[in-house]
Amino acid sequence: MEEKDSLPDMSFFLASSVHDMKNSLSLLSNRMEHFLGELTPDSFPGYEDLSQMLYETKRVNHNLIQLLALYKVGNHLYPFDPQPFLLNDFVHEMEAQCRPLLASRLIELETSCPDDLIWYFDEELVNGVIGQAINNASQYTRDRIRLSAAQVGDMLEIRVEDNGAGYPASMLQAIESEQRGISFGSGSTGLGLYFGRTVAAMHRNKGLHGRLRLENGGCYGGGCCILQLP
Amino acid sequence: MAGLQDTFSDFSQRRFLIIDDFHGMQRMLRDMLRECGATRIDSAGSSQDAIKLLSSSKYDVVLCDFNLGPGKNGQQLLEEAKFRQWVGPACAWIMITAEKSLETVMGALEYLPDSYLIKPLTTALLQNRLTKIWARKRTFIDINNALGKKDYSRAIALCDQQMATDRLNAPELQRLKYQFLLAIGELAEARQLLEAVLAERDQPWAKVGLGRVLFMQGDYVAARDLLQQVINENRANIEAYDWLAKTLQQLEELEAAEQVLQRAVQLSPNSPQRQKDLGELALKLGNLDAAEKAFRKSMAVGEHSIMKTADAYVGLARVCSNKQQPEEALKTLGSMQKHFDGEQITVRAKAMEGMVYLQNNQPAKAREAAKALDALLATSGAIPEGAAGLEAAELLLNTGNKESATELLHKLVMNNHEDRKLANQVGEIFDQAGMHEEGAQLVALSRQEALELMNAGALLAQAGKLEEAVESMRNAKKLLPSNLRVLLNFAQIAISCMKQQGANEALLNETRQTLQHARSLCSDDKRLNQIDNQLNELFPKP
Repeated sequence: MEEKDSLPDMSFFLASSVHDMKNSLSLLSNRMEHFLGELTPDSFPGYEDLSQMLYETKRVNHNLIQLLALYKVGNHLYPFDPQPFLLNDFVHEMEAQCRPLLASRLIELETSCPDDLIWYFDEELVNGVIGQAINNASQYTRDRIRLSAAQVGDMLEIRVEDNGAGYPASMLQAIESEQRGISFGSGSTGLGLYFGRTVAAMHRNKGLHGRLRLENGGCYGGGCCILQLP
Repeated sequence: MAGLQDTFSDFSQRRFLIIDDFHGMQRMLRDMLRECGATRIDSAGSSQDAIKLLSSSKYDVVLCDFNLGPGKNGQQLLEEAKFRQWVGPACAWIMITAEKSLETVMGALEYLPDSYLIKPLTTALLQNRLTKIWARKRTFIDINNALGKKDYSRAIALCDQQMATDRLNAPELQRLKYQFLLAIGELAEARQLLEAVLAERDQPWAKVGLGRVLFMQGDYVAARDLLQQVINENRANIEAYDWLAKTLQQLEELEAAEQVLQRAVQLSPNSPQRQKDLGELALKLGNLDAAEKAFRKSMAVGEHSIMKTADAYVGLARVCSNKQQPEEALKTLGSMQKHFDGEQITVRAKAMEGMVYLQNNQPAKAREAAKALDALLATSGAIPEGAAGLEAAELLLNTGNKESATELLHKLVMNNHEDRKLANQVGEIFDQAGMHEEGAQLVALSRQEALELMNAGALLAQAGKLEEAVESMRNAKKLLPSNLRVLLNFAQIAISCMKQQGANEALLNETRQTLQHARSLCSDDKRLNQIDNQLNELFPKP
């Protein structure tokens, strides 16, 4: 028997245990949100810690979602099917999803979206990108986050902006040089960015494809994560 | 957006069912629903418990986890609930999954849930989603009602009407309209619609749809190229694989078709139908091992599914028989009779049993089976349809009962004189028995006879002799009781006759019964729908 036969197919175990972990994390974050909703910072001394725990739990959950999605996309197992969505609904769903965390961190979320804007995208993937962007922003913002959607030229633009200090210049530079193919594996571009770019690139229409951009500035002068979809 | 109070009463008045094998999840969903104002909430911890509840109570909302442990999964449960009409179009079915995968989102179009929710859930998310589904159900209520009555023309008109003012739902309305057009065979119009959709935006569903239309129009090369292009763009588009395989079969590219289906079952192994299709292709190509594997897989994934198909059992029996494993083949046929009911199944099992004996050098037993089959056909009186009829004739022909076989096939072809596939299959049966000439003759004669019977009525109608035309078509109907064209022609002429001479209770009833019978043979036919609507307009049902 060849040696490789005795090794289990790790990717299968990884993928299947990720489901399991996601289920547990889903219950965990749900209970935390529930408690945070019942408590106030004054009534419970551990309130801030609990809020931080929720952030970390959601972060891990986002990572797992992304790993699993990338695994499926890489193996052509992902049922990619862009559907038309009313952006207003999408923005409100994102808001509902993030509200407990943001409220517990005393962060104000502002949303902006035309009432009648409809666009085509894969909801789960885009939800993954934007959910993570808001989760990240909640860690680096001072006290405000803005989620907006608008049509810009031929593209839909979804922006997550904060009023924190913005991305460090070294990170933006590293991303830029990596995009130009100068340096690989700089370590500054993690899973999240790779996932976001993959998702953007999968969305195509009439010869155009989506893009993901990070920059500083925007409405609040902090970090901006911008997803553009054709 | 609906006011908070409205949403609250929406929840408090509706009946909810939670299906999840994990008690922690059950409790969480129950808490969430209560927070939204729901009070009438049942829960089930297994598919068996869910079936008990679904079959005895009407629910407005079902929250169902995809993974339910042993037995049916959430999709199979939904299929059964819709098939048995435990839930109707008004019920909101939400499938909860840990992830979006080919396995979880695959299902025939008419068996899709209203929405998928991917964990983790929050109360707000659930509330938003349900509110949206309810609004959507209100928007589509008239279209759904028309669909319930199979009145596609009305459903299409309603889509057009709605599209003119409702920009938000326009994409979905277009998709629905395309499906309705296809259902009634308006291919040219469906194509026009799809081309207009694609001119606006590259949409995979519309490309696959166009491939389907090209296939149905007989433009197989164009269909193949388009579907191949869809797959190149997204190698996980299962629907495109299925239609590409069908197209390649039409082009006689059987090996390529088999490869396409092999790829499709790797991506999405849980469709009993697709596995069976693969088995039949492999069997045709003589790949017995591949065929056996596919048929067995079809049986396994169909175990808990109403989509299971007896064709897989017959196919497996054929494979085992070819492999000189008669015991295994007979065992499979026994298992088929445990899983399926009905006369057709009894006929198929007996016919295959005989063929198994015949192929495995037990001619005496084969003749015995043929005799039993002949008796079965004589007592039941009904003509076995489709596969059952062909399989029965195959055994009869090969055991020297040429007369019964010919009679059976004659009736089968007469009743389906426009079905080219059937005619080919009949030809193959004769070819294999070394009677090519006789086969060709039988098919030609049966068709000719059916046409003459029909023309006689049509000529009388043209000459204005409506009563005689009705009588002539009535005669044709007796001889060809399951020929759709004959049934529809009868109804058409009967309506013309009543239009001219006024309603006549007996004829009106006969026409209604005829149309009902036609409906049982073919639920969606453009002409059937038209005649049905015409009759109901002229003579509204009391």
